[in-house]
Amino acid sequence: MYILSGMKEVAELLNAMRDAGVISEYALFGAIAQMRYSEPVATLDADVLVAVPFPQTLELLKPIYEFCAARGHRPEGEAIRVGAWPVQFVPVFSPLTQEALEEAETVDFEGVPLRVVRADHLAVIALSVGRAKDFARILGLLESCSVSREQVARLAARHGLADAWTRFEARFLNA
Amino acid sequence: MLETHKLLERQAAWQKGRAALTWPEKIHMAEAVREWAAQLSRARSRMTAAVSASRHPGTGEVTTREAKKDN
Repeated sequence: MYILSGMKEVAELLNAMRDAGVISEYALFGAIAQMRYSEPVATLDADVLVAVPFPQTLELLKPIYEFCAARGHRPEGEAIRVGAWPVQFVPVFSPLTQEALEEAETVDFEGVPLRVVRADHLAVIALSVGRAKDFARILGLLESCSVSREQVARLAARHGLADAWTRFEARFLNA
Repeated sequence: MLETHKLLERQAAWQKGRAALTWPEKIHMAEAVREWAAQLSRARSRMTAAVSASRHPGTGEVTTREAKKDN
């Protein structure tokens, strides 16, 4: 018996935020997105990539926090608590994450549309971050056949990560 | 040895089968794990607070000598 999902509430909030013009677009990434493609994994929060209408401003996330506060969602550390989930809003921080956001897919999540980054973008974002858990994410995506080595290699090369991918292959796939 | 190998194969197949669940089902699983972790953490905090309070009712403080004894 599982507890009620909070992710539907997160999806509704994100769609409302975009419709109100607080953000231009959003897409889930990180562990929550990974679960779309592979086995379930343990995670403490939900990561959301966002594009904002005025990216030059100093307080990028202020309108998001205000929008959430007006709906009763309070900050919790570096996140905002939405139902069961602490949600972390991450502004796009590179051409790779910009592309991942633009090319994200819209999925039906229990009747609510929810945008999620593609598996190849998820793998190459993980490659660019490069922590142990990011490497595990890439391996999980490859093992589930959600993405191929060739797809990752092409996308990595296009975003200046060819060397990082070669090192990853040598360390984890060709050993 | 053969039995162990078969067991490991069955376990691996069962684990891989979870990947075939729907995305919402997998997220429900992750939520359940988070809830268990939170409950464990709360229980541990309550136990620590109860131990401190029993040593120094009203303050919850532990003296240096008692802390050394615990270590």
